[in-house]
Amino acid sequence: MKPRSLNLAPYALILPSFALAFFIISYPFLDILLTSSHQVSRFGILLRFNGVENFAKAFADPLFTASLVRTLWWTLFVVSGTILISFPVALILNQEFRGRGVARAIIMLPWAVSLTMSAVVWRWAFNAEYGMVNATLQKLGIISHPIAWLASGELAFPIEIFVGILVSIPFSATVFLGGLSALPGDIYEAAQLEGASVFQQFFHLTLPLMRPFINIAIVLNVIYVFNSFPIIWVLTEGGPADSTQILVTYLYKLAFRLGRIGEAAAVSLVMLLILFVFTFVYLRIQGKEAKA
Amino acid sequence: MVIAGTLIARGETVRVTIPYYSAATEPYFQKMAAEFKQKNPDIDIKIEIVNWDNLLQKLTTDIAANANADISIIGTRWLVDFQKTEVVEPLDQYMDQAFQGRFIESLFNYAKVGGKVYGLPIAASARALYYNKDLFTKAGLSNGPKTWSDVEEAAKKIKDAGFYGFGLQGKEIETDTYWYYALWSFGGEIVQDCKATFNSDAGVKALSEYKKLIDEGLTQPGVTSYSREDVQNLFKQGRVGTVITAPFLINQLKSDAPDLQYGITAIPSDSGNLSMVVTDTIVMFKNSKVKKAAWKFLDYLFTPEPRITFTKGEGFLPTTKSEGEDTYFTQNERLQVFVKLLSTGKFLPLVSGYDAMSDAVSRALQGVYLGKAQPVEALKQAAQEADAAICK
Repeated sequence: MKPRSLNLAPYALILPSFALAFFIISYPFLDILLTSSHQVSRFGILLRFNGVENFAKAFADPLFTASLVRTLWWTLFVVSGTILISFPVALILNQEFRGRGVARAIIMLPWAVSLTMSAVVWRWAFNAEYGMVNATLQKLGIISHPIAWLASGELAFPIEIFVGILVSIPFSATVFLGGLSALPGDIYEAAQLEGASVFQQFFHLTLPLMRPFINIAIVLNVIYVFNSFPIIWVLTEGGPADSTQILVTYLYKLAFRLGRIGEAAAVSLVMLLILFVFTFVYLRIQGKEAKA
Repeated sequence: MVIAGTLIARGETVRVTIPYYSAATEPYFQKMAAEFKQKNPDIDIKIEIVNWDNLLQKLTTDIAANANADISIIGTRWLVDFQKTEVVEPLDQYMDQAFQGRFIESLFNYAKVGGKVYGLPIAASARALYYNKDLFTKAGLSNGPKTWSDVEEAAKKIKDAGFYGFGLQGKEIETDTYWYYALWSFGGEIVQDCKATFNSDAGVKALSEYKKLIDEGLTQPGVTSYSREDVQNLFKQGRVGTVITAPFLINQLKSDAPDLQYGITAIPSDSGNLSMVVTDTIVMFKNSKVKKAAWKFLDYLFTPEPRITFTKGEGFLPTTKSEGEDTYFTQNERLQVFVKLLSTGKFLPLVSGYDAMSDAVSRALQGVYLGKAQPVEALKQAAQEADAAICK
């Protein structure tokens, strides 16, 4: 009798928060599930069940495929760029040096500004006529004429990736800094005594020990970046001629510009599925490697 | 229970969704709400201000959740979509001949769908060509351009003087309308009998004209990175010779570039009186429970005093006759150009799926501006997309 009643207590205790979380997550999910499987009026009123018609329509749209491919590039470049830059940044910020507090604050600052506001600032900076970027490059004599940075997708998309990396660095650097400060100091002392070089210490000690932090930074960044809306929307609205459209801007345009809400819901479900599969597969592989 | 019920019914609340036009918008509508309340103590007016960019999104989600306001301002181009999904109330039953007589006829009739009135024109604007007089003098020209060859000629001379000739918009909202100006002046139409006709010979000519201006360096470089505001900023800075835009630029120039010498003339065309007239419409929703009170407020908004205050404050054009007769319009030479164009200007077609067509056209234009597509094919493709989207 006694053990059984004890076993129920933890479940009862987490039940309220579980119920709340379940409701918060499941309500929009069910709503999207319903929307995506119905013909929907321009104002989101469900008209009739139409099975997978919305999905079929979305998949048949060449813009969907183009946006999907571009989203993968966007995520790949922004996340890898972010990780490759934030790791050394975190290593440097982990050293003892004068002004470290200031340096840390400067790296973290972009985090304090809303993503939309930083995107607006970058839109100004890359303005062809009065933007800071053109002014600086012209003063330095690097370019002779102002460049219309955001006029074509070929230039605008790399710029958006660049801005994406910049705004993602603070979060990743924070994760890495947390990891680095938790590393035990004695193993480095031992390694030094054994004559390990700085590079050997990095590749054989720091990197393996930091692996869980790198993994979590990659997974969280992929989720954030894959779904990131403000940078591309503010800079180019996915244009010109849809040449910088990623899935999330495409679905916003579908829903709120073109009034195709059912299809937009279908696209968002597909996005959820992609992220779910990615996270699942990635963590599985990493978990296995760590055990091996 | 019964007493409580009647008490609630006596104090009615009318919710009004208003887009943010300028800093003057909210104070104006709050003032109207207060004045209205004085005359109708049992009706409360609740004003909700929304950013223009989010207006359609807000209305969409509000209507879907059955939580929409009782009346709202909308872009008139959305009206057919609202009417088709039966979310807006026909207003004919509320108004008499005298009420209709308050309005400028063409503007009032524009918001009719299938012969019924679904909204009242609350804001009007038109488009005309602004030209920088200093740059024109520098280029040895004394008058504003009348035709596209005038524009071209002026742009060449202005370019030689070291400035940009023709300001061309190629990004974001109104990218398509900026090209409809030329389409109309070459005799084309956007839509006829629910079929896209902008890919006619006139359309190809109009697009080729813009492309030629770009290729010859007569516009600012990188047109696809210029939104409406960006092009207007070029004009304010005195760096571009001509730009086509709305009357609100007059007020902006007064505060941002008070020394700029400029003139205003019709959009280039043979007729010499081409313009585009745009209205915003105020509608009542079908699911409103306080329709009578809501109508009372609408009626009040369209009396002479509130009207002229609104139009002056926002820099719009008159939608009622009494405003047009106010000295504010009759004694302002620049505004007079716009007021006159109201009666000859073209309207955008009211069709369902307008936004999808607008998107298809904008993409086609951007492709041509960037040199990635040819006018004939790009317009043909856009017309196919438009036909699949409009009047459905």
